Amino acid sequence: MTEPDAPTWRVPPRWVLLVAVLSIVAAEVGGGSMARYKVELTRWAREGMLARPGVHGLVGVRDVDERILDEALVKFDAGLRLFHMHAEGMGLVIIATSMVAATVIRHAAARRAIIALLTTGGAGYPVGYLVWSALIPSHGLERAKTLAEWLIWVPFGSATIVALWCLAGTVAWSMLARRRA
Amino acid sequence: MSGRAILAATILATLAVLAATAAPASAHHVGAYVPRDNAVTTNFKQVKFSVQAKKYDVALRLFDEGPLRAEMRAQAATLPPGLEDGTRAALAAGDGPEVERSLMIFFAALARDLALEADRQLARPDATPETRVATGGKFLEAIWRYYNLVDFAVATRDNKASVAVRLAFDEAEAFVKPAAGGAAPADPAGMRVPLRRIAQALSTLIDASSTTPPSTTPRRNS
Repeated sequence: MTEPDAPTWRVPPRWVLLVAVLSIVAAEVGGGSMARYKVELTRWAREGMLARPGVHGLVGVRDVDERILDEALVKFDAGLRLFHMHAEGMGLVIIATSMVAATVIRHAAARRAIIALLTTGGAGYPVGYLVWSALIPSHGLERAKTLAEWLIWVPFGSATIVALWCLAGTVAWSMLARRRA
Repeated sequence: MSGRAILAATILATLAVLAATAAPASAHHVGAYVPRDNAVTTNFKQVKFSVQAKKYDVALRLFDEGPLRAEMRAQAATLPPGLEDGTRAALAAGDGPEVERSLMIFFAALARDLALEADRQLARPDATPETRVATGGKFLEAIWRYYNLVDFAVATRDNKASVAVRLAFDEAEAFVKPAAGGAAPADPAGMRVPLRRIAQALSTLIDASSTTPPSTTPRRNS
């Protein structure tokens, strides 16, 4: 027997699911690669930093420079780890939130826009950590962070936040409309 | 859609909004860095703790095989003659105070050389004030990392030297910190004066300690 008004969850569009799954796959591949190629990645980053002493403020004294290189390498590694963690998490967030949007939002254009924002924002944001890590050897810690922020974190993060607030507002609106009816 | 479904959707959406808006609060958190010991300071601590535990055989093995001794050899030109052999002999003889004195001289010499190098680099005419501040800060950090290891031993033997180094260090640090209350930042080249004082105080300490007869019991001179 079925309830007369049983919940009808709608599956988000296939491309959204594909992007979410790809994000999770990228996270797993990234996590596996950073463990498998840890030495090679560290060597690459270190050589990149040593090739640009001015960028990293290296002074040519081992006792001073080792500390600078160590900090940069720790942050380089942290960026890879954060990419792994965020890409995994945001993949799931994309699936959950786009399913809510597909189910709750009646207006087709609004639904498409919010789902598009959720998907692109959610999938793009974690890439910022990867970009940050990749830019550290050539641009230094702070410059790399600024670039990742303005190229990736701010636009994609903002897209996700805007879409989530719109989604929350829409859900609240449908609750109110339902009460009135 | 039922009320339950809308409630579930509301909870999901709220959780997602909270998760997303919490992220900027940690402002693209990229991890905190805690400076680690380098190979020399790690080996120093191993030797020191073994000596404190009166495990001289362990301390001797750690010294023989560790980077501390290798560094003493590498820096031999700037150290008092026979420091490495003296340290090893003290470890073999189980003479704790002498081991402490030797290691104090070694780290004081490392800190002094860093202070001299910092002074030299800050004097470069092509360095901008920003570069001087950044370079000076990094050197001060490195100096403190070594000096801090032996400050207690220094204060035990020569309290005036310890105070002089600390005061000069504080003075030098003021040049790399941002000016408070909108005041104009001090010229970072001014850091050279306290850096030279650090080098001078440590040189005097090294000379005085190197001539101290072995196994002299340290006493506070304050």
